[in-house]
Formats: sequence, structure tokens, C-alpha cells
Amino acid sequence: MILTIAGRELRGGLVTPLLWVLLGAGQVVLAWVFLKVVDDFSGLGADERVVSLSQELALNLFSIAAVIAMMAAPLIAMRMLSAEFRDGTYDLIGAAPVHLYAVVLGKFLGVAALLTPLCLLPAANLTLLLGVAHLDPGLFAAATLGLWLAGLLFGAIGLYAASLSAQPGAAVLAAFGLLLLFSVIGRAQDLSLPGLSLFAWLAWNEHLLWFLLGAVRVSDVAYFLLFTGLFLALTHRRLANRRLA
Amino acid sequence: METLVRVTDLTRRFGRHTALAGLDLTLARGEVLGLLGPNGAGKTTCLRVLSGNLAPSSGRVEIAGIDLTRNPVGAKRLLGYLPERPPLYQDLRVDEYLGFCARLHRVPRARTADAMAQAKRRCGLDDLGRRPIAKLSKGYRQRLGIAQAILHQPRLLILDEPTEGLDPVQVRQIRALVRELAVDSGVIFSSHVLPEVQAVCDRVAILHQGRLVSGDRLTTDRGTLVWRLRLAPPADCAAVGALDCVAQASPLQGEYTRVVLKPAQGPEDLARQVVAAGLGLRELTAERSDLERVFFDLIGAEEPA
Repeated sequence: MILTIAGRELRGGLVTPLLWVLLGAGQVVLAWVFLKVVDDFSGLGADERVVSLSQELALNLFSIAAVIAMMAAPLIAMRMLSAEFRDGTYDLIGAAPVHLYAVVLGKFLGVAALLTPLCLLPAANLTLLLGVAHLDPGLFAAATLGLWLAGLLFGAIGLYAASLSAQPGAAVLAAFGLLLLFSVIGRAQDLSLPGLSLFAWLAWNEHLLWFLLGAVRVSDVAYFLLFTGLFLALTHRRLANRRLA
Repeated sequence: METLVRVTDLTRRFGRHTALAGLDLTLARGEVLGLLGPNGAGKTTCLRVLSGNLAPSSGRVEIAGIDLTRNPVGAKRLLGYLPERPPLYQDLRVDEYLGFCARLHRVPRARTADAMAQAKRRCGLDDLGRRPIAKLSKGYRQRLGIAQAILHQPRLLILDEPTEGLDPVQVRQIRALVRELAVDSGVIFSSHVLPEVQAVCDRVAILHQGRLVSGDRLTTDRGTLVWRLRLAPPADCAAVGALDCVAQASPLQGEYTRVVLKPAQGPEDLARQVVAAGLGLRELTAERSDLERVFFDLIGAEEPA
């Protein structure tokens, strides 16, 4: 049943233009960043180069891709719950013999499947340098994994926000608010609480950074999986409460 | 007769507003129950609770003995539901949509093609399998909504205003389909159209302000006492009122007179006495159907002019 719902969401995402527009726009931005990094790097002398080309590309290309995925996830997720509430199609699932957890997991798998091509875009750009420059494939694999895990987290947050409202616009704004909070919360440490690292730990970008540096740490993987699970559990709770509201 | 649905003391509140209060209903297999009521009476809320889309604030809903709250998946296996707005995905084609609904309702893969073909045939969608749902007319969308509800041959069919948006031919087809489906299952059918409920349903439950005000079996042998006469001019209302079978006569616009018969009197008595009195009978029609009379009496609304 999870795959049935995921398949429906995947197909719905592929036949509507949203995903293709996001992929196109994302590729334009990434191509520009890619060219700029390569151009800047090739203009430097050997003694001026602080980090390798692989590191430069991983830090710039994948961090921009993470921002693109952060903006795309709420837009993809909103049609899976919020638009269904608005259009009345959720009644079909609500009256079907399906467990609520299967609905949540099916929708989440759909979001994950649609976000995966976006997360692979930086790696696709890097294939242009194959055979031309000495690149570190392990670094890019770690960065791609980190970006994909961040994409899962964004998707789960987008899905939770989509479960809050029957107005897709409001759901997208709520998701952006949550994602921005999780982006800037690490700065609270710098502002007033220098001794407390909890806020830095809560920020997704602090964890993604390690992947972009080529380090796949269990704590960072656990962070993304933990918060993805948390937002999926909140979505489940919200859908269960919706029947009572 | 096997009881298919048992609703006991069902109450549903939205904040401080009580949409359903202490509702008791039963539905037997082979029966069509019409749910009637003015706007805001609680019909759609009742059907949403029965479909499992809303949880009751208190009370109990059992479908074939399975508690809908405690075992929602088990109970929902037995029901098909057409909401007020057909739940259609605009980006799918008709066959894709029905295939998705079949998987959602756990129709075995080997039976899916047959189930889809049968549902399409019953709803007049045979040639539209490849048509995108976004390009269907309102009537066909309504039919597709019904097709998804009957696809898995549910034991309980819940239809919220199924003939909305259909032309008169389609309305007759859907009425016949409902009667056909009711042979093996139970149907709960809500509508604003009183003659439709009278034509299709075995029993009618009238809701008003969230309460069940009547749950009677429809009888066809009990005639109405309110009739409308058209007499040759000059229409003499007082002479009509003086007839033995007439309890009350009042003039309407033009040549029409509204007549209330005494109990146990029928239209044949009225026609005979009008003719015998030489009042020039041109037309004799029932003012309101039996169901209309019950409906307006129960909800306390003004009689239609």
C-alpha cells in the first residue's frame, strides 16, 4: 500500500510541470556556480590555491543545491496533502482501508523520489570534468549523500507543513518558516549563548558541512534521520487529529 | 434481515457547534436508506463519519459488526464512498485512476481488469478509459466518482448527492444502478431532491439541526390529503369548500384552488363530488407528495406556495 501511494505521487509529480521547472531552474543556477568555481580556480596560480578543486566544487555546488532543494521540497510536498485537502481527493484515501502510517510513508517516499533528481544534479554537472581534472569521487559521494539526507529532511518538513492547512500557499509559507528556522538557529550560539552548542547541533547546515568536507559521520546521519522521523511522526499525528478536528 | 450498519448515539461536534446529536440509525442488507434534510442539517457530516473520514465525538458506528473507530481498516474494507465532490485526480486518465482505486481497496491484481470493466460499464464510461480526467464533463466526473465507489463491490455504499450535475437520462440510470447495487449490499443515499429519494429509497431518515427527526419506511399506499384543483371560470372556491369530502379550500392564483381533504377521503371522492356539483373540473393534481408533506411538517418549514 505504501508503494501504491508513493507510485501515485511520483506519477502525479512527473506529469505536472513543477518538477521539471524546478529541475531546469536548479540546473541553470548550478551550471553558473559550476562555471564560476572552475573559472576562478583555473585563474589561480598553484601557490594561491588554498583547497583542491574537488573541495571548492563540493562546498559551492552542493551548498547551493541544498538551498535549491530547501526551496523545492515544500512546493513538491504541498500538493501531496494540502492540495488534496483543498480538492477533496484526500477523502478517497480517508475512506480506503489504509493505515495512516502507510499514507504518511507513501507520500514521503513520493517526495523523496521526486527530490532525488534534484539532489543528483550537482553530481551530474561534475561528470563534465571526468577525464579532464583529478577529482575526488569519495568526496562527491559523501556530499551527494549529505545533500540527499538533507533533501529527505526538507521533504519531511514540507509534508508536515502540508498537513497543517488546506491552503497550499499557507503550507508552503509554513514550511519555508520552519526550514529557515532550522537554517539560522545555529547562529543563536554566536549571538548570545557562546557556551551552548545545542542550537548549532539543531541547524541542518552545520551537519551538511561535514558531508561536504568528505566526512560521513554517524552523528550527522543520525541527525538527519532523527529529524526526518520526527517530522513524519508529527505528520502522522496531524492527520490523525484531522479526523477529530 | 442482516444488519449492515448500526449507528448508536452518534454525536459530532465542531468546537461549540453540534453537527450531529445522538443519532441512531440502522441499515439492513438490500436496503436503500435516503438521508434527507435542509442545508446544514448534518447529512454530509453523518456520511463523513460513516466513511471514516471524521471521528465521532461520541457514539458508535459498526459496519457488519466491525467497530469503525477500533478497527477502521477492517470496517473500511466493506465500504465504498462517494463524497459530495468526486475525489478525482485531474492529472490521471480514467483507467489509471480506477487502477489506483482498485489497489487502494485491495482488489486482487487478477480481478482488477474485470472490476474496472464492470464499474465502467455500469456507470457508462466504457469508451473513456484513455480520457484524461481533467477533460471530462461534470456529469462524467460524477459517474467516475460513482465508479470508484462501486469498483470493489462494497457491502455498504455511501453516496453523497450522487445525481448532482447529471442530466435527466443519467439520473434515471444512476437510480436504476443504485437499486441494482442494493440487491447484495446496503446503500445510504443523501439528496436534496425529495422525489428522487422517494423513487430510490426504501426508507428515509430526515435530519434537522443535527437530529434525526424521522426514520420511517416509505409507503406508497398512503395518499396525500392536499390537492390542487383547476376549475372552469369562474372558479367557486366557496362551493368547493362546501363539498362533503373537503376539510378546507383556499383560492390560489388563476383558476386554481387548494383543497385539503378530510381524513380517509381520496381524490376519487373529490373528483366525483366536483363533477356532481357542476363546478367544471379541468385538472386535479396532488399538491405535495407524501414525503414532501412529512419533510416540511417535520422540519417545521413553511409550506410551498
